[in-house]
Amino acid sequence: MVKEKTFSFFLGCIMPNRYPAIEKATKFVMKKLGYEILEMERATCCPAPGVFRSFNKIDWMVAGARNLCIAEKMDADILTVCNGCFGTLQEINKHLKENEEHREIVNEKLKLLGDYEFKGTIDVRHVTEVLGYEVGPWGIEDKIVRKANARAAIHYGCHFLKPTRIREIESSEGPTIIEEFIEVLGVESVRFKEQLTCCGAGGGVKAYDAKASDTIFEEKMKNINDAEPDFILDICPFCHLEYETAQDQLNKNKGCNYDYPVIHLSQLVAFCMGLDREFVGLQYQLMGKDYNFGLEEVTKEEEAA
Amino acid sequence: MAKTEENRREYKTEQDFDKEFFKDIERRSNIWQCIQCGTCTASCESGRWTALKTRSILRKVVLGDLSVLEDPDIWLCTTCYNCYERCPRDVRPTDVIMELRNYATKRGNISPNHRAVVGYLKNFGHAVPINDEIRKRRVELGLEELPPTAFKYKQEGDDKDLKKFEEHLFDLPPVKEEKKKGEEK
Repeated sequence: MVKEKTFSFFLGCIMPNRYPAIEKATKFVMKKLGYEILEMERATCCPAPGVFRSFNKIDWMVAGARNLCIAEKMDADILTVCNGCFGTLQEINKHLKENEEHREIVNEKLKLLGDYEFKGTIDVRHVTEVLGYEVGPWGIEDKIVRKANARAAIHYGCHFLKPTRIREIESSEGPTIIEEFIEVLGVESVRFKEQLTCCGAGGGVKAYDAKASDTIFEEKMKNINDAEPDFILDICPFCHLEYETAQDQLNKNKGCNYDYPVIHLSQLVAFCMGLDREFVGLQYQLMGKDYNFGLEEVTKEEEAA
Repeated sequence: MAKTEENRREYKTEQDFDKEFFKDIERRSNIWQCIQCGTCTASCESGRWTALKTRSILRKVVLGDLSVLEDPDIWLCTTCYNCYERCPRDVRPTDVIMELRNYATKRGNISPNHRAVVGYLKNFGHAVPINDEIRKRRVELGLEELPPTAFKYKQEGDDKDLKKFEEHLFDLPPVKEEKKKGEEK
């Protein structure tokens, strides 16, 4: 039996090594909601589903299974904050539970990496799904101390929902999990054209052909700009990085003037639950450094007074 | 008249068909179910802006045409899974493209940038390694300076995890000869 209300916190690469504020925010939120967070010592890259799976699918599964084993030893489900990590770990976990042939191959190779054996005793979760379905808008409502009062352009990314047959979360063509959850945080979702398309960086394309990736992003950004949101809300540090750096690139190379703050769901929830703005970390980001949400400190204090 | 037309057409004969290649991809995917309807190409987010035509890639696989492994287009898929979701025959084109990339990698068709990413994984245990600025930022945020991943242990002198990664995982074939010559120029 896995431990209840406890997660092995899988960091991945981009969150701890580029956007540590998301890590801070996630820990803050989960602890405040009564979850215990365990560190996954000696974990590595998930490894990324776009690049590493392209090179060698078996080795990709072995390296992923090694991370899963670390959590299995702690008897706690994995919590991921990134669509890439979620995609890799959830898929490998599910596949190895079902496919005996691959499980044997992977376990054989895992011995080379140390004392690891995939047993299939845990599940892999994404913070969005934990917040949206387990905590729920009903559960967060009386835990927040302020509302964000803003309009956000939501970016779901690809690997959180797709492939739907493997993820089994909800429809990828009309998802509502984030919209419903952020409504109680005072954030309205703005619809924009081609909302559910890719940010353009995935699948190793950013590394392989940056120009192609930038073209996809340019169109995406144009559509977001038309909707005039206050910020872009994502659930994946990789999309987060793309939205930050590619906006900057467009400003430098194409004469654009974008300055949309890019905010991860964990950062938004942490802010609403009272995490100080300096720890939400927008000042460290490239875009929208000075953004302070549509700050309106109502709720608790006033009600109490 | 008939003769000229015949000359213009490119016919695939049995000799062009690499049975082994097709059988292997067939075993690992649902490629045999493809009816060439084009839903994949129509749904492709990358293909809207690039030369990637998923349907024609799948066609080449069915024809056992090995040239597809040299085709740079297979590396333009962003793995957004739109085609995978919408394919009426459940071919799962994204998975087919992944198999093709695995094949291409074995033949040494792998871009220098991708090689670098594999190097990062082996050296740091991360596809995106940490830098000094982020270390400082982590401390400011009240986090540990280094996250407790394999890299932290390597910094502390215990590199047994990453050594094993280096030794046993993602062994890439050497850079192709022709490419080397190109680089020297």
